[in-house]
Amino acid sequence: MSLTVAITDSSTATVRAALTGTKRDVRGYIFAGALLFCLLASLFVLTVLMWDVVASAIPVFDKRSTGFLTSELASSPDKAGVSQGIWGSLMIAGFVVVLAFPTGIFAGVYLEEYAKSNRLTRLIELNIRNLAGVPSVVYGILGLVVFVKGLSWLTGGRSVIAAGITLAILVLPIIIITTAESVRAVPSGLREAGFGVGATQWEVTRDHVLPYAAPGILTGTMLAVARALGEAAPLLLIGAITGRLASLPGQGLVDRLQGKFTAMPIVIYGWANEVNKPGKITGLTFEDLNAAAIVVLLAMVLLLNGAAILLRNRFEKRRQS
Amino acid sequence: MNKSKGRLVLASIVGLSMFAAACGEDEGAVDATTTPAAATTAPADDAATTTGAPAIAGGEVFVTGSSTVEPISVLVGELADELTNGELAVTVEGPGTGDGFAKFCAGEADISDASRKIKDEEAALCADAGIEFVELEVAIDGLTVATSPANEAVTCLDFAALYALIGPEAEGFGNWTDAQALATELGSTSATFPDADLVITGPGPESGTFDSFIEIAFKKIATDRGTDPKAARNDYTQSPNDNVIVEGIEASDSSLGWVGFAFYAAEQDRMKAIEIDKGDGCVAPTVETIADGSYPLARSLYIYVSVSAVADNPAVGAYVDLYLSDAGVAAVSEAGYVDIPTERIEASRTTWADATA
Repeated sequence: MSLTVAITDSSTATVRAALTGTKRDVRGYIFAGALLFCLLASLFVLTVLMWDVVASAIPVFDKRSTGFLTSELASSPDKAGVSQGIWGSLMIAGFVVVLAFPTGIFAGVYLEEYAKSNRLTRLIELNIRNLAGVPSVVYGILGLVVFVKGLSWLTGGRSVIAAGITLAILVLPIIIITTAESVRAVPSGLREAGFGVGATQWEVTRDHVLPYAAPGILTGTMLAVARALGEAAPLLLIGAITGRLASLPGQGLVDRLQGKFTAMPIVIYGWANEVNKPGKITGLTFEDLNAAAIVVLLAMVLLLNGAAILLRNRFEKRRQS
Repeated sequence: MNKSKGRLVLASIVGLSMFAAACGEDEGAVDATTTPAAATTAPADDAATTTGAPAIAGGEVFVTGSSTVEPISVLVGELADELTNGELAVTVEGPGTGDGFAKFCAGEADISDASRKIKDEEAALCADAGIEFVELEVAIDGLTVATSPANEAVTCLDFAALYALIGPEAEGFGNWTDAQALATELGSTSATFPDADLVITGPGPESGTFDSFIEIAFKKIATDRGTDPKAARNDYTQSPNDNVIVEGIEASDSSLGWVGFAFYAAEQDRMKAIEIDKGDGCVAPTVETIADGSYPLARSLYIYVSVSAVADNPAVGAYVDLYLSDAGVAAVSEAGYVDIPTERIEASRTTWADATA
């Protein structure tokens, strides 16, 4: 009998063979082949893109070394660098972390754990889902009207604060949705067990639901920051600088936050518009610099994602122990 | 499973940083943060301005406007930075001439770069907001009509031929020969058009490069024929990015398009400039023909300076002084454009002196 076989040798292959007999699973093989093809196709596209960019970027890092990372926007590809872009993008990421993370996670938990499931809640949820699909340039217009013009006393006009708040709002729906999804995926047995031993809703949410949902929530926040780092359209409307960005010496942090700014996607956008005349010293063009800037932006996203993955693993380990 | 994924990411981060470190140690690395060429041409005895003297007012200046003029403003901004040790902080952006005037007339910028003259409706906008400005000519650009180097059949076109190919009445022409009848009717003396696809890539109506091309090449013909003097055909590939236009011109063997002279000068191996005939023979765009005015598609580049900004902020005046000084003028050719003749830069200096007197 097949059952006895399964007990003595329980490896998947033996079990499957015992259950299906000698019949060949042709459709299964075709399906598996199709899956593999799709994976390889996307990997191929990614590899070609990466290779194209990295190959053009290597001469820049070779000739300019770290000067490329520490220099500011400039007229010549011999001198131009991404330091201001990195600063602006990190500030924007900071605003997203500070503003959108708590707001989004709390809103998501409220929607799933606390809100009554009625028509209003469903309407709100539907709207948040739709907001996640609104083109980013629309958020740019919102940022321009509300944060650049309306709240200029706070943001200082076309500043990194206005950009940060706008992008925080842009990614808010993504964080709310992923949080709600991860919280929904928590087995209800976990909650019931908590309530069964007399825990309050707050205690169940804090000690059981949130730790269990944390990896999923972190994945959502990670995607949100990556999205915020890569957005260019809203920043164009808010007025990130492309040509030259200078501030008076000795400015404080508040002045810098309220002053004019640029960010990595805008640096890339601006350099794509430059005349491709090779620099006199290095022979590099802005096209080469652009490839290097893309690599820097990729590295930034990768670093942030890496940090989030490490955090997620720590959460998972703590839950298992 | 998640653990191994985490390790993979960590490994790639470590790999990347090692790569960066290896690059940093490279002995052949050039530290390119050296003095720009502009500094070496700083004037010692410029009578018109106080350049070179230590008394340049510090402060912040914000320049917006044409992306064509942006490189010149950036170079002058870098010069200001060097001469004042960063005390004259000039920020420059280039969203386009039209967008620039919109910001300038809203009082958001001290100076607006422009690759054409201000339009009446833009001037009205400024007037409504109470913003007075001074118009200063700073450089010349030659709009370069170009095709693929492989297109041997076309070497010279006159305005009538350009109108027949790109004008509002050319809508729907997919082959060069489609435009032949119209060109002949308009009295074009250009050679016969080749029997090849007409693939046009150029700037769109939001661009100053579009406006000035239409103004110079089409206005007279369009007015005579009663067509819209501010329009071109709509069915061509439009891009605000000049590098995209260069690519479009390069991509087809029978292409047609137009860009600013700096882009042609930097990419001469990728496209061929078409000579322009305005009745005095075919003239190719070169620094000389653009400077002496014999190239028919030359246009002036301007900066518009807000009078109230100059009054409120001495840094704006200092920056414009520098812009019009000999060192500032040197930035024009550095950026790939053509110096305006001496008498015209003197005229700009006089206008500026009168406005600030």
